[in-house]
Amino acid sequence: MTTSLTKVAENNYNMPTNKVIELRQAGKKYPFVKQADKKLRDDFSGLWALKDVTLDVYNGEILGIIGRNGAGKTTLLNIIAGVISATEGKVYMNGRVLGLFNLGVGFQDELTGRENIFLNGAIMGATKNELENKLSSIVEFSELGNFIDMPLGTYSQGMRLRLGFSIIVNLDFEILVIDEVLAVGDILFQHKCFERLMDFRRAKKALVITSQSMDLIERICDKVALLDHGKLLFQGNVTEGINKYRALLNSNKFFVGPDQRDMDLVENTKKWADDTSNWDKELGTKEVAIEKVELINRFGCKCSRIKSAEPLKIKVYFKAKNSVKEPHFGIAIFRNDGVYCYGPNTKFDGYKIPELKQGKGYFVLDYPKLLLAPGEYRISVAIWDKFETLAYNYHAGYYKLTVIGKYNGGNELLNMPFSLYPRNYLNFKRKYADGIDLSLLNDKWENKFETEQINAESVKLLNFLDEEKDIFITNKTVKLIVNFNKLIDCRKNYSFWIGLYRDDGVYCQGIIPALNRGKSFKIAFPKLPLLPGGYRISLGIWDMRMQKFIMYHHAVYPFRMVFNRADHGTVYLEHRWKWGMIE
Amino acid sequence: MHILQEIYSKRYLIRELVVKDLKIRYSRPLLGFLWAFLSPMLIVLIFYLVFSLFLQVRIKEAPFLLYLMTGVFSWRFFQDSLISSTTSLIDNKNLIRESSFPYYFIPLSIVFANGIIFLPCLGILIVTSLFYLRGLPLYIVLLPIVLAIHLTLAIGMSLIFSILYVKWRDIKYILEALLPILFYLTPAFYSIYLVKDRFAHLLFSVYMSNPFVGILNLYRLAILKGFYPLIKEDISLLSLVIVASSFAVILLLLGFYFYKKNKNTINDYLSY
Repeated sequence: MTTSLTKVAENNYNMPTNKVIELRQAGKKYPFVKQADKKLRDDFSGLWALKDVTLDVYNGEILGIIGRNGAGKTTLLNIIAGVISATEGKVYMNGRVLGLFNLGVGFQDELTGRENIFLNGAIMGATKNELENKLSSIVEFSELGNFIDMPLGTYSQGMRLRLGFSIIVNLDFEILVIDEVLAVGDILFQHKCFERLMDFRRAKKALVITSQSMDLIERICDKVALLDHGKLLFQGNVTEGINKYRALLNSNKFFVGPDQRDMDLVENTKKWADDTSNWDKELGTKEVAIEKVELINRFGCKCSRIKSAEPLKIKVYFKAKNSVKEPHFGIAIFRNDGVYCYGPNTKFDGYKIPELKQGKGYFVLDYPKLLLAPGEYRISVAIWDKFETLAYNYHAGYYKLTVIGKYNGGNELLNMPFSLYPRNYLNFKRKYADGIDLSLLNDKWENKFETEQINAESVKLLNFLDEEKDIFITNKTVKLIVNFNKLIDCRKNYSFWIGLYRDDGVYCQGIIPALNRGKSFKIAFPKLPLLPGGYRISLGIWDMRMQKFIMYHHAVYPFRMVFNRADHGTVYLEHRWKWGMIE
Repeated sequence: MHILQEIYSKRYLIRELVVKDLKIRYSRPLLGFLWAFLSPMLIVLIFYLVFSLFLQVRIKEAPFLLYLMTGVFSWRFFQDSLISSTTSLIDNKNLIRESSFPYYFIPLSIVFANGIIFLPCLGILIVTSLFYLRGLPLYIVLLPIVLAIHLTLAIGMSLIFSILYVKWRDIKYILEALLPILFYLTPAFYSIYLVKDRFAHLLFSVYMSNPFVGILNLYRLAILKGFYPLIKEDISLLSLVIVASSFAVILLLLGFYFYKKNKNTINDYLSY
């Protein structure tokens, strides 16, 4: 009853007993034998319908395969069903596989429904006895009544589905494979099919289905596999997979060959956004198109330069081709080297835009205080659909912004407000900061350097309740207390420096308190706006005469930030949204 | 051996495929299964009119009508099997893509279906011969063996051509051109002696090594009373059997070798 492939699996390979399908780097290349056009032939001869697919399916699991037309779904199903063989890689099936592919495939129009049951059943590997025993339940399940004795040519698509589905679900199998056909049935029959599929799941059978109906996939699947251009982009959680698929629908042309960047976009929007090579590019369906973007300073004037920690408004003009329901706006700021500063959007902020009517409109993102350090920045602007997966228009890194302010020697990213205690320390001289050469620390990550004279005895981080912690909530008070073993006299050309780093090494902010003398320093961030992630604290004492550190602890003190909501980037910046249509 | 096992274990599927083939062919025509006899009989009638009445062909080995019937009936079986099974994999690609069953069952079942149609024709031939020649030769016991050889040959060739056709669609036209030539190269409506007298000894041996000449003569020998005694001195029974059966076995083995080689890839070529 089993296919020859199955036999191989049973004899030579021991799969875990509950695993029924195992694919390892499976690939399929179709032979394109004759194509008059040589160029065309060359184009297609290297085309892998499926490449490097590794997949496991266990007993009692329903796997949904999603992807665009031509993504390789049917090829994958055919390989699982053993109808075609993989060109490379390994394929193991444990048990009898049945498949329901295109409707009416394998049916003979000249034969009656009943005769087709016997023919089809026999092709599926059933014996005469089995079929005769199941005949009545097949006919009953199909609800075809007297039509069962009519030639199949008289059947509608829905009736064919009924017959095909009734045959396979009444036979014995361990793995069932169904390709895009269930949608043809009427609601009642679909419901019946789902019920039957659920019965199979309870009976620990494995099911693999494809569908373009995300609704259906969401309803019945335990996990999904997202295919595109023959590659497995994602495997796992259903909602996540469906969201990724929706994001994939962004790139509106399909048969132009795989674009690596498009795939990256699917895999990690944030990473894609971080990738400076995508800057100056545009993406999206353009149902709503961004027409103009204005940067407005605190005087309400258009500008491209603003002072650090001053207000900034970003005003975006757009034009909607058609009316669009529940869109979302997003604006992200990056530093010129690609570091993601902040990317709020109306979805994260829970700001509802009921509908954009056809015509022109605008939206504004208002930052009362742009806490970015002086430097060059890029701004991306996007208008998304309801799920924030399909971009109507996405201008990546299109707009340039310069933040000016005091000299930023260490390439800081942020300019977060803080205060020093005791109060009389609160006059810091930038000129001291200018002298510190942070590049000396480049390969000293997590290193300590101490001399006998000066040592940091303790470094403590306190939360807003003055409890010592290493996890903090974004926008709550954080205090840092550093105790040294002896007095540091900064009048003797010493600078005390504290650095905040991102876990990946990005320098967020440096603080150089110009203290006179002291043994213990306390720095308080009234609302530390760092976004979730891992951060490190460095400290050091710089000798300005010798031009070197006399001690440092570089990135030795880790802490984490958490936030009670989703947000993208490194720092939370206070902001407000506003939008309207232009009559 | 594996293949024999497979055929035996899936005999029900083969039966269904044969039944399907017959049903599709004969369920709609008004005269139904009658066409299985009618069409070869009509051909025999035309040949008889042309060759016996108009061209005055005379044959000493057997009565011309019976001579013609054995030739046409057995050839029809072979030709129909080959032509319809050559395109069968493409014709039934939907079935093949449905499930992973051994697809050589399709040409196999077509040959079987044609064999089933051939059996009643053979019956008519035997009955006619019985009355016409007032008896049957003892050699009729060989008839099952002859049938087996013929079937084997047809299966082997059908398998080879059906697989070739999937990749090489010219096969169908080549076959349509070559089959009539092959037909005229077998003594369907002329005496072997006509060839023997014309051809040199070597060339005649080549002619006789055509398996269809062998099979046709074997049919006649088994059915027509008094046929073998007449040709005995020139053609031996043993050589007929050996030539035909060795051809049949070699082609069958070749066919399955072909199948084994293309088993996993054939499906890729079926789509278009």
